Amino acid sequence: MKQLTRALIAVLIISLILIITVNKLNSAQGYSGGNTLTIFNWGDYIDQDLIKRFEKETGIKVIYETFDSNEAMLTKIEQGGTSYDIAIPSEYAIDKMIKENLLIPIDHSKVPNLKYIDPRFMDLSFDPKNKYSVPYFWGTVGIAYNKAMIGDIEITSWDDLWDPKFKNQILIVDGAREVMGMSLNSLGYSLNDTNEKHLIEAKEKLDLLTPNIKAIVGDEIRMLLETEEAGIGLVWSGVAQEIMWENEDVEYVVPEEGSNLWFDNMVIPKTSKNPEAAHQFINFMLDPEIAAQNTEYVGYSTPNKGALEYMDEEVISDERFYPDEELTSKLEVYENLGKRMLAYYNDLFLEFKMHPK
Amino acid sequence: MKKKSKLSSVYLVLVFLILYAPIFYLMFYSFNSGGTMYHFEGFTLDWYRELFEDTRLLIIVLNTVIIALLSAVISTILGVAGALAIYYARRRRVKNTLLSLNNVLIVSPDVIIGASFLILFTIIGIKLGFVSVLLAHIAFSVPIVVIMVLPKIEEMSTSMIYAALDLGASRWDVLTKVILPYITPGIFAGFFMALTYSLDDFAVTFFVTGNGFTTLSVEIYSLARRGVSLNINALSTLLFVFTMMLVVGYYFITKRNNRPNGLGVKQ
Repeated sequence: MKQLTRALIAVLIISLILIITVNKLNSAQGYSGGNTLTIFNWGDYIDQDLIKRFEKETGIKVIYETFDSNEAMLTKIEQGGTSYDIAIPSEYAIDKMIKENLLIPIDHSKVPNLKYIDPRFMDLSFDPKNKYSVPYFWGTVGIAYNKAMIGDIEITSWDDLWDPKFKNQILIVDGAREVMGMSLNSLGYSLNDTNEKHLIEAKEKLDLLTPNIKAIVGDEIRMLLETEEAGIGLVWSGVAQEIMWENEDVEYVVPEEGSNLWFDNMVIPKTSKNPEAAHQFINFMLDPEIAAQNTEYVGYSTPNKGALEYMDEEVISDERFYPDEELTSKLEVYENLGKRMLAYYNDLFLEFKMHPK
Repeated sequence: MKKKSKLSSVYLVLVFLILYAPIFYLMFYSFNSGGTMYHFEGFTLDWYRELFEDTRLLIIVLNTVIIALLSAVISTILGVAGALAIYYARRRRVKNTLLSLNNVLIVSPDVIIGASFLILFTIIGIKLGFVSVLLAHIAFSVPIVVIMVLPKIEEMSTSMIYAALDLGASRWDVLTKVILPYITPGIFAGFFMALTYSLDDFAVTFFVTGNGFTTLSVEIYSLARRGVSLNINALSTLLFVFTMMLVVGYYFITKRNNRPNGLGVKQ
């Protein structure tokens, strides 16, 4: 008994000391004050120095929390019980959140820096007139390929992937929209096509690709391409950028037939306790100089026209990540095709995955 | 005992190698100056330095430990009481039912437990954060403690309790002077099990964290999406060393307990 009591007291004392330490650390960071802003963002998707700068400039303390998928974020916000002031979901999730009435409209008069955003990226189908969201980063879906591994071939179109030379060389991401979109684009259809004949045609074309496919993978595609497990990958531009930082032989191309244009936008969830600070934060992040610094850190493409002036000439003239007008006109945002159509896309994708090699 | 054949020791070494290889691989690269997990460039302690400078991560680590300690203590107290209740249940049917209900909680998938906690907490209006995580951890640790403590109680001879009662001990005396000292090793085992379960739980915690409060496993998972930075390796190394120390500590505690003590309740 004595031993148990002693152990109990020891554990409680240790816990108490730890709690006091955490509180000290928290208040040293200023988290305990009333004027706080809670941000819900993807892991490692902002330059932490900017958060410190925002805190210093406004006196608002930032609590920063991360999520790993749009679905996880949606669950947390839908369920309530949380009070995020800013979240940064992708466009299809925003579409869903608007329909489910989970967002507070953004007061454009409080975000004067909105004028720096490239008009190409405003007023898109998932959020007309940008009533609820402001672009944070954007990118494309394309092909990452290792020049050293596949020989001196330049890939320029989706159709190149069907070349029998690339037998067992291609990795693709496990996403119905991405993969079906690739096939639809290569056939010259829109990646939002709802014509069932076209979709079946696209699926049949995908079946022909199976000899070339090495694996259908998730986030690990980045590492697999970095370590040269495969020569070619269907990836998002952000992932491609990270691969290229690690492996200089890797090239990225947005196929000439067109591709997907994706967005991660800043939104203010309904559960926000401090919408005032949220507006301030959005405006802060849109400041050209700040956006430039953040872009340098994250490495994705910024929608901020003003920021381009502060960035390296080399970066912004890189057609792979800042494609010219001609190519951007061929890029499409995924539209919400409705539950039935999405299920059909998923079914076809599943059938393709089950197609014998 | 038969002499161990060479084959069996080779097998044993092999199994341990396979089990520990990923951990050592991870630890090895925490000293890599190259910044990746597949190309070792040179020795550096930069990742450890970066780790200690990141106050946010440090707070998360401390929170994880606090949750683990508190939930382990509380669930140990509840679990011991539960185990005693099951032991004292008169009818065999009741006893078996209670035990089965306890075991169902252990085998049911974490994801389901986590999701149901999320729903429960939002319905009764508990804000997601420290309290919700603590409650969830206590809840999934209690059955484990019960399972660890119960066999120890069962193996205790009932005549000891009767002897104590005969000699004029009150019920309280029996509990604190006979039963608890006897089952102490079981209680410690339960406590350490609860501690490790809480430290490494991901699935349940994932659902009930929120509002800026998060634990290490959830945080690492979010970070891993964009490729794990090597300071996560550094952190994992430190945690591994810490767990090793716990295990060694536990070993010495049990060793001391196994020595005969003044109560004479050794079998």
